[in-house]
Amino acid sequence: MNQWLDERLHISRLNDKFLRKAFPVHHSFFLGEITLFSLIILIITGIVLALSYEPSNSLIVNSFDPGTADKPNLIPAAYHSALKINAMPFGDMLRRVHHWTANIMVAAAVIHMMRIYFTGAFKKPREINWWIGMLLLIFTALTAVTGYILPYDNYAYNTVKVVYGIAASIPWIGSWLAQAAFAGNFPGEGIIPRIYGYHIMLLPGILLALTGAHMLLMIKQKHTQPQYAKRIAYKKIVGVPLLTQQTPIMLMLTLLFAGIVLLFSAFIPVHPVEFFGPPSTTPIQNIKPDWYLLWVFGALAIIPSFELTIFGGIIGSEFVGAILLPTVVIAAMFAVPMLDRSKDNNYYAENPTNHPVRLAIGTSFMALLIIMSVAGYKPDLISANVLTTGNANTVLWILMFVVPAVTYFATIGIVRGIRALREADERESLAHSTAAADD
Amino acid sequence: MTRYRKQDPEMTRRRFINAAMGTTATVGIVSLVGVLGTANPVFRLTRDKMPPVEGDVLVHASASKEGEIIKPSELSEQLIRAWPMGKDKEGNNLIRKGDPNNVLAVFRYPKGQIVAPTNLEATIDGEIVAYSDICTHAGCSVSDDDQQEGQMKCPCHSGQYDPKRGCIVVGGPPPRPLAQLPIKMDGDKLVVAGFFLENPYPFTEAEWEARKEAVKAQLA
Ligand code: FES
Repeated sequence: MNQWLDERLHISRLNDKFLRKAFPVHHSFFLGEITLFSLIILIITGIVLALSYEPSNSLIVNSFDPGTADKPNLIPAAYHSALKINAMPFGDMLRRVHHWTANIMVAAAVIHMMRIYFTGAFKKPREINWWIGMLLLIFTALTAVTGYILPYDNYAYNTVKVVYGIAASIPWIGSWLAQAAFAGNFPGEGIIPRIYGYHIMLLPGILLALTGAHMLLMIKQKHTQPQYAKRIAYKKIVGVPLLTQQTPIMLMLTLLFAGIVLLFSAFIPVHPVEFFGPPSTTPIQNIKPDWYLLWVFGALAIIPSFELTIFGGIIGSEFVGAILLPTVVIAAMFAVPMLDRSKDNNYYAENPTNHPVRLAIGTSFMALLIIMSVAGYKPDLISANVLTTGNANTVLWILMFVVPAVTYFATIGIVRGIRALREADERESLAHSTAAADD
Repeated sequence: MTRYRKQDPEMTRRRFINAAMGTTATVGIVSLVGVLGTANPVFRLTRDKMPPVEGDVLVHASASKEGEIIKPSELSEQLIRAWPMGKDKEGNNLIRKGDPNNVLAVFRYPKGQIVAPTNLEATIDGEIVAYSDICTHAGCSVSDDDQQEGQMKCPCHSGQYDPKRGCIVVGGPPPRPLAQLPIKMDGDKLVVAGFFLENPYPFTEAEWEARKEAVKAQLA
């Protein structure tokens, strides 16, 4: 049979080209794989969820609690179908798996990028893949956001309201853009069908295409080699082939990962639609976005209010906090490979401590995002009497500058210490070896 | 070297490809803009989407009492959410909740507590006052402040308003005060006496003027 297939599909060429692709043996290289597995699990669970979901925000009678004939209990069809999914066997579980995997996908992608950044794997020739990776990160976040609007409970409703407000805050074109993106004035009759289209067609399509490009480039350019490869065989690709060695490792990782996600889903509930209830005029206290967007939310919470009119366009805090600032942050991340001026191709993953400035910039950038996320908890901090309404903004603004600066210098200091120790070690072993030779 | 450079009379392949790609991109962008146009549905100003208009009766917006007419005795310093209720073409009652931005906040304070910049003319006896309940920042519905009695706080980014002083912003990111809605008494009912005094969220000043004109034209 092998021969039969080979004569038709040229399996042996495929084998040489792709299936023998060498995978470096180091646990940090699994992060990208976890992101990929998450995407696959998301697509599978998403398809199953889509079978029972009704993408419409038209009001229908709640079959669980129909009300009376003259005062029927009307709720949006999408919300109703979310209730129905929860009522099916394992329906709630399915939603939880989908939700948890989405969170893990973003987390794995973020840590994966951190690995790439700190080891210098973004350097020539892999800049393009860094940019594709950035796009993947952005579109993953967008997919996640559109996803948690779909149950159309009160939480989702308030979320999409704020997202609409952000889109509409763009000067000049804002209201047109928001209406085009969300099917008319908020909340138009077609808002859920529109977002459903984004979430199950447009965005997954983009994600799959980008993932394909990402992996093709990675196969073409090979992984960066971990340090040990330099010692074993300089300038040679070292690792285990996809078939057959890496495949069982991957399978094991998938099963382990799936197991962990199921365990999470079994015990930790997510987004309880029954609790939030259908969209209503009652706001939800202390509503917050998911953790990966909390920093934008935090920025909005501490930006003072202002409004400027330039050529008829209104520039307000909303635009600066939710559009301009993330754009700057994302642009900085896009620019990372361009800050590296080396002409040569980079083969080996670098030891972060050999590049203290890059390491320190990375850690202080993360510290900044963490502080901004903490600022997202401003109302809670005030309720807990940690801060007062009067001083909250000042304190958080100061922290926003001080903590990253401290992190920066602390990192540099620690790296210096580590290097001093290492050099002392080297001197010592050198001294010993020469001493030994003298004998 | 000759004086004559070799002139290729035909287009080079590269030039052809560039031109073809350029044309494709232009056509593509133009048609994409066309498609985006259809993504933006037309807005029809139906009566349930109109902002509160003169003569509308204020009814409860909370789920348990929705549609019940608000009595002045029910009001206090606690925020009460209200919908404007008008009439449809046949003259039946119609709650204007087709646009959720129509939700209102109604308060009642002891005489003398409501001060400028609140428009006292637009309150009932300087005691009952109504505002748009939609935060001017990003459009969340504003609640009572759980920390400071008698103030309002937006749960989204903790914008704070003072309902006794014309709902001016006293904290957080909102750019403008909440718009005040003029009201009057009609028997035991609270009735809208005119349009919002300023542009409510999500309208800019110009858009708000245009919307008022559109409503007047349709009701005339
Ligand atoms: S929407 Fe009210 S403070 Fe942002």
